[in-house]
Amino acid sequence: MAGREVRQEEREEGARLRHKEELSRKIKEQKVVVDELSNLKKNRKVYKQQPNSNIFFLVDRTETLSQCKNTLDELKKAHQEMENSEKTKIEK
Amino acid sequence: MEAFNGASPLSRALVDRLRQEYEKVVTSCQEKIQHWKKVESDYEALQDQLHTLPNKLSYDIMVPFGPLAFMPGKLLHTNEVTVLLGDNWFSKCSTKQAVELVEHRRKYVRKVLDDLQKVMKNFESRAEFKDLQKMSDAAGDFVDIREEIEDHSIETKEKYGTAHKAHSKPKLSNVFEVDFPMNGSDTKFMGHFQSEEELWAHLEELERQELLGELDRMPNTVETNEEDTSSSEEKEDKRTDLNGMYRAEDCITQGDFHKEVTNSDLFGGQVNGSTFYHSDDEDDIDIGDNSVPTIFFSHTVEPKRVRINTGKNTTLKFSEKKEEAKRKRQNSSGIGHATPELPNIKTPADFYRVFVDIVNGEYVPRKSILKSRSKENSVCSNTSDNSAAEFDDRRGVQRSISCDEATQSDNSESILEEEEAEGQQQLPKKLPSSSGTTEAFSGTVIGKESLSPSLIPHPVIAHPVLPTILEQKSEEVLSKASEETPNRISKFKAARMQQPS
Repeated sequence: MAGREVRQEEREEGARLRHKEELSRKIKEQKVVVDELSNLKKNRKVYKQQPNSNIFFLVDRTETLSQCKNTLDELKKAHQEMENSEKTKIEK
Repeated sequence: MEAFNGASPLSRALVDRLRQEYEKVVTSCQEKIQHWKKVESDYEALQDQLHTLPNKLSYDIMVPFGPLAFMPGKLLHTNEVTVLLGDNWFSKCSTKQAVELVEHRRKYVRKVLDDLQKVMKNFESRAEFKDLQKMSDAAGDFVDIREEIEDHSIETKEKYGTAHKAHSKPKLSNVFEVDFPMNGSDTKFMGHFQSEEELWAHLEELERQELLGELDRMPNTVETNEEDTSSSEEKEDKRTDLNGMYRAEDCITQGDFHKEVTNSDLFGGQVNGSTFYHSDDEDDIDIGDNSVPTIFFSHTVEPKRVRINTGKNTTLKFSEKKEEAKRKRQNSSGIGHATPELPNIKTPADFYRVFVDIVNGEYVPRKSILKSRSKENSVCSNTSDNSAAEFDDRRGVQRSISCDEATQSDNSESILEEEEAEGQQQLPKKLPSSSGTTEAFSGTVIGKESLSPSLIPHPVIAHPVLPTILEQKSEEVLSKASEETPNRISKFKAARMQQPS
């Protein structure tokens, strides 16, 4: 019984770690995007890539900036929640 | 037992490897799931884009110029989309149609994802189970799939050995006692030992229910919550003794190990009984007499619906009559079988004794039921040559010589009497002598005499034993030649001659 639980915990921890890494990576990316967008000159055009293809659609810079900021905030929130849950588990 | 114990270290390694394989499957499933999730998200994005694409007449885009270069440009004809149908076939559709296509593909992707999730869960649970088994191995007991079985694997194996033998009751007590030292740490055993009688009673009741078919697996599994998965697995291995044992343990009690032991025995017996149900003979599980399931073989008393075109009646009636007559004889004379209703069969020879008649102390096979008994113009479906059939019949009777059929009293049909006469007169001839090829009429006809019914060979039901084979050879004759005359006479004439007498 104990062995089984141990193995389960290991798997869960591995998944959590992976998830955490991905999340942190995404957060970094979003940070970069937000910084770049905010540092653009006003006359610049911003194109957004269509997923899985090489086509870029012209998009509004301000709109895109706000969207990226929102995404970043969400990712940060998820990351925070994960950290909190880990802390509670450790405390237990 | 010892073999299993010796194999457990080996199985541990195997279990480890199996677990690794399971985990590999799980990881591969996870990767696939990741891939398909990405595909789904792509399709979702595409669908969104397609929704909004017709909103504008043209879009400013960066047109890709090869893999690395782009040119600013415009996207026109926003409503025309070329969709890949597969195999380099494309179709030009509107965005709405394209959206539908995409939706259809997403549906498929979702289905694939679901299946992968299920598979992953399945293998995860299997891997966990294997961990448990490994631990059980380490503990030293024989392992079952279920967790609860740790202490009783050994007993169940022993029980299996006893339960599968008929009349295994005397051994059961030994097994019980053996269990105790093996599970000395299990205090429950000591506690339940007091209620052995209750357990026996419970065992009998369950056996009865099992026979009636009321005791289904379902109510039993309902009793035990945690054993459903393993019990379902065991269901598949119905014929495996171990699993039968485990199932018994599984479904009978909740943690009552002693009861599990007894009931496992019960189930083992019942499993055997169920397997025997498929055999031609009737198997009776003795539930009333012993608390241990005992399996008796008995001749099926149900008359087989063998159709013989007789003048009067069908074989069915005939055989029923014969059976009753036989039973009456048995009861009256007390010859033949141990039990009033069922013969006590322990050896193959017992079979023979059940299905043959005893004439003058010797065993004579009964006449086949396919042979007609009526004296009138019975149409034999198999008869091609009347005379030959006649002779065969006579030969069959000759084989049945010296068969003292004390059990047959009601054979009022003249055919039987004819047989008796023939049988009597051909006493010196033995059974094997007449076995052989069907020959033409030898020319000897036995006159009909009034004999005691006990001499009538009794071909009630086709028997699987030796007499049947011989009778098959003389099977063509359905009507008997009542008299033996030096001259050949047709069977109908013989029947007619018989009738008045």
